[in-house]
Amino acid sequence: MARQKAHSLINAPAPAPAAPPTATLILDAGAHTLKAGFSTAGTCHIIPNCLARSDRDRRTYIAADLASCRDFGELAVRRPVERGYIVDWSGEKAVWEHVFAAGGVLGGVVAAETTLVLTEQPGAPAGTARMSDEMVFEEFGFAGYYRALGPALNAYAPSPFLPSTAPPPPPGTPLECLLVVDAGHSHTTVTPLYHGRPLHPACRRLDIGGKLLTNHLKQLLSARTFDVHKEVWLVNEIKEDACFVSQHFARDLERTWKHNGSPRTKVDDGGDSIVQDYILPDYETITRGFTRPHDPTLTARNRLGLGLATTSTPATAPKEHILTLGNERFVPPELLFTPSDIGIPSAGLTGTVLQSLAALPASLRPAFLANIVVVGGTALLPGLVERLRAELRARVEEGTEVRVARAGDAVGNCWLGGARMARDGGGLGRVVVTRGEYFEHGEGWVRRRFAGKGVR
Amino acid sequence: MATGPLRFCTPHIDELPTTGSRQAPGFAWVAVSGAQDDPAKNWGTSNRKRARASLNGPTEQQKEALSARQQREVERKIRDLNSDNSKNASELAIPKKEGGAGASGAVRAGKTPNTKKILGSGKTFAHYLDDEEAEIARTGRRDVDVEVSTGVQRPSKTPIARRKTREDSSVSGSPAPVTPMAPPPWPRTAQALSYGEITNLDDVDDEGEDAVPPLPSEAQLEALLNAPPLTYGQARSRPPSSSAAPPRRFCETCGYWGRVRCMKCGAMTCSVTCKDDHDQFKCLKMYA
Repeated sequence: MARQKAHSLINAPAPAPAAPPTATLILDAGAHTLKAGFSTAGTCHIIPNCLARSDRDRRTYIAADLASCRDFGELAVRRPVERGYIVDWSGEKAVWEHVFAAGGVLGGVVAAETTLVLTEQPGAPAGTARMSDEMVFEEFGFAGYYRALGPALNAYAPSPFLPSTAPPPPPGTPLECLLVVDAGHSHTTVTPLYHGRPLHPACRRLDIGGKLLTNHLKQLLSARTFDVHKEVWLVNEIKEDACFVSQHFARDLERTWKHNGSPRTKVDDGGDSIVQDYILPDYETITRGFTRPHDPTLTARNRLGLGLATTSTPATAPKEHILTLGNERFVPPELLFTPSDIGIPSAGLTGTVLQSLAALPASLRPAFLANIVVVGGTALLPGLVERLRAELRARVEEGTEVRVARAGDAVGNCWLGGARMARDGGGLGRVVVTRGEYFEHGEGWVRRRFAGKGVR
Repeated sequence: MATGPLRFCTPHIDELPTTGSRQAPGFAWVAVSGAQDDPAKNWGTSNRKRARASLNGPTEQQKEALSARQQREVERKIRDLNSDNSKNASELAIPKKEGGAGASGAVRAGKTPNTKKILGSGKTFAHYLDDEEAEIARTGRRDVDVEVSTGVQRPSKTPIARRKTREDSSVSGSPAPVTPMAPPPWPRTAQALSYGEITNLDDVDDEGEDAVPPLPSEAQLEALLNAPPLTYGQARSRPPSSSAAPPRRFCETCGYWGRVRCMKCGAMTCSVTCKDDHDQFKCLKMYA
């Protein structure tokens, strides 16, 4: 009932004065996942931000439908968000409509009564910003809209440096000094924030993200074991399950040396074995692969590393496809810290953080060095935070305090910050642009408002 | 290249005996310290012949080795790594909603001319980036800084007395500060940018430091906060300085340190067995 009324409201060219928006929806549109939720919710829903077609199932899955997919083999994935910016709006519109649908995870979104807080990555070209503004107001018909800088929202989330028993600050208060390292799917950005506002001259971007790590792992596996060029989803899972960031790269490389193809005579020292077996899913009995400590007897049969192993009970036991992972576990994540290994002309993660700090006045640097928060999907790699901390300590002068921490919920931290910011109605009201203002002043005015120019 | 005793009688040159000079033959042994020990540093000079030849740095031949062809190969690999599998997936059709609303066809295409254009465009991110760079190159400033001069000029409805303040505020770009501290989007009375608070920050973080650089003044801080956002290209991380360690090379076949360079294609492998594998399966790719 209310939805039909809202539909007719959307079709009107100049909207009649509508009721003030009742709810605020926070959307953190990432390249890999979409984090969505109302500001009153405690946590967000993490929805794959893609359209996927499975030729085996002959079905196209939109967004959250993927949870019902049983066979991820040779999944062709179309991602509307490219390099962190929403580029393919027809695909993104399909995803959003699926999320906003009445039966969706959010329980139905009525755009005309909702204020939207949408995140955007730093450095956006003007064209993508304009597209977002136009689509939100003209196509979806939201009542109010605020396009926020993604990393800036992290300042409103609780600080990971305080103990969890400390009382959280009131919603809407940003942390004072925060250096946000957002390690996402498409890239990694370093953004210093002061009271929630970004210091733009010091923002830096490293074009290495989870996507590049997955592709590199795909190439390594295809060269050494068997061809997985089409299996992006599977290799992504392998990366999430088995990869880690090594603390001593040279030592770990020595430990996984294959000794020119001869059977591994050198067993890994003690209980800290790096080499692992990955059991591949066959999508009939095993839906998701898992790792296991390496068992050389099983893979001794097949030199390529793909072994069909039968367990001790022959007839009923499932056959397992085993992939042996040695240095493939830590070589792709090493690209984050040493991109020159592949030939990418960038400094590593530590170098980028130091470049960002170098662009700040010297007196502010200690404050930011002591408040480094790592968020994003790629931040979930084990060992990343420790390695960053150790490298920063080595390259910064003695006596400076360096605190690096991963946010409690690395993937949803930006959304959480947005939700807490939105709960403070007064502050949000100052920056939100309403639909009436959009149609009155035009898109260019809106874009300049969001860039901080021009006052209400 | 030790200098031996002067062979010819040169009247104006006299070799003074120092502790370093001694009767030495016309060549010198120079210690190659540690070159054989650490495999990580050894990749360019794995056997002794090359080690001797490259004492003075890479020879002409070795420099030529990183020729244009390898550069192209490296760039192609990086592009592949950044790909999103969009070749086969960008044509992924959005499934039609079964039993959708009657106007689903029109809705799919977009409700207003602007959105129709957006939904129908097949532009990728590279297009938008190029557009922005072309705009900057053409007009010299970013899109967001440009005032609305080409838009529809509606007759101003504000009375003359109030017109000036509007123009001033939109041109200057920063909120007209009444208080010395310009309010951020979330001015909090308790936590407004006050100088006292900045010194608080100083006390907490720089304890025991005697030579503390002076904190930025209000104006500097405001300038930092109001600075325009960097463009996509400006925000890119810079490559490390050339004085840093040279990039490490790895074996193509197994991933260990690369120690042996293939003469034909310049790829590194770690040992003879891996090199054989490379010659059989991978080397041809450069000539394919």
